[in-house]
Amino acid sequence: MLQTVAMPGSVPEAQRFLSNLEGAIILAGGTVVMPVLNYGTDAFTSLVSLRKAGLSGISVETGKTTIGAATTLTELEDEKALAFLHPALDTIASPTIRNMATAGGNLFVKQPYGDLTVCLIALGAAATIAGAKGERIEPVEQTVSSGVKAGEIVTQVSFAMPAKDAFKFTKATRKAFNSAAIVTVAAVVVLEGGVVSSARIALGGVAKTPVRATSVEKALTGKLFDRAHVEAAAKEALKDIDPADDAYASAWYRARVTPVHVRRALLGE
Amino acid sequence: MKHSVVSLTINGAERQMLVAPGSTLIDVLRESQGLTGTRRGCEQGACGTCTVLVDGKTAMSCMLPVETIEGAHVETIEGLTPPQGLHPIQEAFLQGFATQCGFCTSGMIMVAAALLAKNPNPSREDVVRAISGNICRCTGYEAIIDAILDAAVRIRSAAHAEAA
Amino acid sequence: MEKIDTSFFAKEREAELSVVGESVQRADARGHVTGRTQFYEDVTFPNTLHLKMVRSTRHHALIKGIDTEAAMKVPGVVRILTHKDVPNNWYTILKLIGVGPDDEPVLPEDRVLFMGEQICAVLAETPQAALEAARRVVVDYEDLPPVFDVEAAMTSTPFKKDGTNYFVYEGHNCRRIRFGDVEKGFAEADHVIEHRYESSPIEHAPTETTGCTAKPEGNGRITIYSNTQALYFTLDNMALILGVPFNKLRLVGGTVGGGFGGKVDVIVEPIAALGAMLTNRPVKYAYSRAEEMQVSSPRAAERIYIKDGVMKDGRIIARKITLYVDAGAYCRHSTYGTTKAAAHMPGPYTIPNVHVDAYCVYTNRTPSSAMRGFGVTIGDFALESQMDQIARFLDMDPMELRLLNAYRDGDMKAHRKKVDGAALVEVIQAAARQTGKQLAPRFAKMSSMTREG
Repeated sequence: MLQTVAMPGSVPEAQRFLSNLEGAIILAGGTVVMPVLNYGTDAFTSLVSLRKAGLSGISVETGKTTIGAATTLTELEDEKALAFLHPALDTIASPTIRNMATAGGNLFVKQPYGDLTVCLIALGAAATIAGAKGERIEPVEQTVSSGVKAGEIVTQVSFAMPAKDAFKFTKATRKAFNSAAIVTVAAVVVLEGGVVSSARIALGGVAKTPVRATSVEKALTGKLFDRAHVEAAAKEALKDIDPADDAYASAWYRARVTPVHVRRALLGE
Repeated sequence: MKHSVVSLTINGAERQMLVAPGSTLIDVLRESQGLTGTRRGCEQGACGTCTVLVDGKTAMSCMLPVETIEGAHVETIEGLTPPQGLHPIQEAFLQGFATQCGFCTSGMIMVAAALLAKNPNPSREDVVRAISGNICRCTGYEAIIDAILDAAVRIRSAAHAEAA
Repeated sequence: MEKIDTSFFAKEREAELSVVGESVQRADARGHVTGRTQFYEDVTFPNTLHLKMVRSTRHHALIKGIDTEAAMKVPGVVRILTHKDVPNNWYTILKLIGVGPDDEPVLPEDRVLFMGEQICAVLAETPQAALEAARRVVVDYEDLPPVFDVEAAMTSTPFKKDGTNYFVYEGHNCRRIRFGDVEKGFAEADHVIEHRYESSPIEHAPTETTGCTAKPEGNGRITIYSNTQALYFTLDNMALILGVPFNKLRLVGGTVGGGFGGKVDVIVEPIAALGAMLTNRPVKYAYSRAEEMQVSSPRAAERIYIKDGVMKDGRIIARKITLYVDAGAYCRHSTYGTTKAAAHMPGPYTIPNVHVDAYCVYTNRTPSSAMRGFGVTIGDFALESQMDQIARFLDMDPMELRLLNAYRDGDMKAHRKKVDGAALVEVIQAAARQTGKQLAPRFAKMSSMTREG
C-alpha cells in the first residue's frame, strides 16, 4: 500500500527522496503510474512527484530547444516555436491526457505509446540525466533502449531545431483521434540539390521500444529524393523492426504496412 | 502511512482536507466533498468520465493525487451549474438530447467548457478532437457534438447580447 | 428530426400517434446535465466495508487449497468470504422461470471453470487494503484441460457437474425446429448454397461499472443500492441464495450508467449482501474497469452454418441452420438466448422447409449473457449476409431477393406461429425510395397484407 507522496522542490531533493524512501518511484504526469496504483500494486510504496521540482518549461534559443522533463504535452502544443511538432502531438492520446502527460514521462511509456519519443529520436535529441554522481547527457535513443538506473532522473531533453520542412511525421492508427500507434514514423531528412544528404528516421509501435530505422537511413542517404528511391529505401525498414501483436494490430499487419507508412511519412503523402 | 492536509479551491471555495497518501482528486471530490457529479469510470484515464477542470485545464481526476496539486483551483459540474437555471452548455445538452444514461455527461460538459473557453467558435473537428478522450456508450456521439456546437452559438449570442 | 410516416397501415391503427414522432424531453435529462442524477455509487454510508474479489488465474482447474493467512494480516482486513459462507451456493438466474439445473456456484467449491471466476471475497476498511489482501491470498490450483471451441466442447469430456457441455432442452442436446422436409427441399432446389458465419464475444463496456452497496438496516432488512438492470430478478435470486424471505431485502436502483444487457446478471449483489449480513456493516462491491471487461458477461460468440436450397428465380425452398451459442462456463441467460435464436430462424422469410438445431454450449470462456437483442443480432448478421451471398450467386438484386421471400400476413412461420402485422415489404420499399433505388414494378406493388398471384 502506498505510504508517501513526496513533493520535492528541486532535483537534488527529488534524488534524496528517491534514495531515502523505500519502494520509491518517480511520478511525472501520472497517466501511467496512477492507473497502476489505482488497481493495487506491490511494485512501489512511495511516489516522488516531479510536478514542483522546477522541471517544466521550454526554451528555444538559436537553433537549440530544451524541454524540461515535467513539461506537459499541452505546453509543447502551446509553444509556437515548436509548430512542426504539433501534428505529432495532436495524435497523442486526448487533449485531457496531454494536459497531464509529460515529455519526460513519454520516454518511459510502453509501446505502442510514446510518439513524442519517436519524434525526439528522429530529431537526434539528447537527454540530460541527473544521477548520484552528477549529470550525464546521452542520446534519447540510448535512454529509451537501456533505461535509467534507480535514483536517476531525466531532467530535460534538447535538440537542434530541424530545417524548415525537414521534419516528417505520420502515425497509422485505428481511429482519427486518441489511438495508439499501429506504426509511428518520424524523420528529419536533409536534402542538397534534390539528393538526401542526411536522414534520421525513427519508428514507434513496431519494436519493444521506439527504434532508429538505420537500414532505411542508409538506403536513402546519397540517393535522389524521389518516389522510386524512397519506396525502395522504405522497404528496408523490415530489417529495423520486431513488431508484436496487441489489441491495435497484429505483428504481421504492422510489418506489412510499415514500409508503406515510412514512404508516406517521407514523401508527405 | 501518514495522512496530510491538502488545500484546494473547489468551485470557488477554499477547502482543506485530510487525505491518505495517493488519494486521487476524484476520491476527495466524491467522498470528502460530496461532489458526486464527477463520475468514476475506469480509474486509468481511458474513459474521461471523471474529467474536471484543474486551474482551467481539463484533467482526469482519477489520475491526480491531491498532494501534488496543493493550492489548485478545481471546477466540477456542480460549480459550472449556475444558482438559477442552467449553463448554456447544459441547456444545449438538454435541448439536443445529448444525454442518455447520463454517466458520461459531466465529463463531456467539463471538456466542452474548457474547449469553448479557449475556442469560442470551434469547428466540428475541433469538438471531436476535444471529446476524443471521453467515452459515451449510448449516444454515438453525434448528439453530443451537435450540442457542443449549439452551446458555442448560445454562448456567443449571449456575449453579443450583453455587449449590445 | 423527420416526422414519422403515418400513412402505412392507417386502417389498422386504432389511436392517433400523439407522442411517437414528436420530441419529448427526457424526464431525467436535467439531472444528467447538472450531475445530480443519483447513481448507486453516489449513495455512501459511514463505516462501509469494501469488497475485492480474488479471481481465478486459470481457465479450468481444481482448487486444491486457499491460503488466506497472509491476507488476513493486512491491516484493515475484516473478513474473507468463501463458498462455505454462502447459504445456498448453487443457483441459475433463470430458475425463477423454471430453468434448471442450478449450474453456477456463487463462489466455487472445488474448481474454477473460467479465467477471472471469483474465488473468495475480501472485506476491508478501505479499497486499498482489500486490494492488497486479495493479492496476498494464495490459491493452489491443479490445471485441467480447458476447451474454448463450441464444436470441440460438444464432443469433449464433460466438465460441467450436470454431465454435459451443453444445455439440455427437454431431453435434446439442442433447441430444435422442424418444418417441412429440408432434405426434399435441397433435392428439388436448383442450387444449394452453404456458408459459415461466426462472431466473437462483445463486451458492453458501460461507462459505469457493475456494482452495488448493501446496507444492513435497523429493522433487520438489507437495502441494496444497485445498478442492476433487473431489480426483481436480483431480489428474488438473492433471497434464494441467502435463504431469507423476499421481504428481508429491499433493492434501490433503476438508474444505470449504461447497461445494454450487461447488468442483468446477479453476481455482485448476493455477495455484498452476504458480507453485510455477516459483518452487520455496509458492504460495497464495485467492479474495476478491468473486471468489467474481463468477467462481466459479454454477448455470446456464435457460430452459424446456413445451408439453403434456392431456385433460379430466387425463391428459397429449404433452409437448414446449425447454430452454436458459446455460453461460456455457466448458463446465465444463454439458454434463453439460444431459444430466441432458434425462434428467430429462418429470418423474416417464408420458407416451406426449415430445419434448425440451436446448441447452447458450455466452454471455459467468460460466461456470456444478455446484450441488446441477444440471440437474434448475430443470427440476423448471418441470415442477411447469407441473403446477400444468394443474391450475388444468382446475380439478383438483394432487395428484390428479400421481397420475393419476405413473409406476409397469414403465412405460417417455421415455429408454427401465423404471421400477423408483417411490415418487411413496406420497410424494404421505403428503404428503396429513400436511397433513390428503382424497384421493378412487381416488387414496388407488393404488400405485406396480401400475397399476389
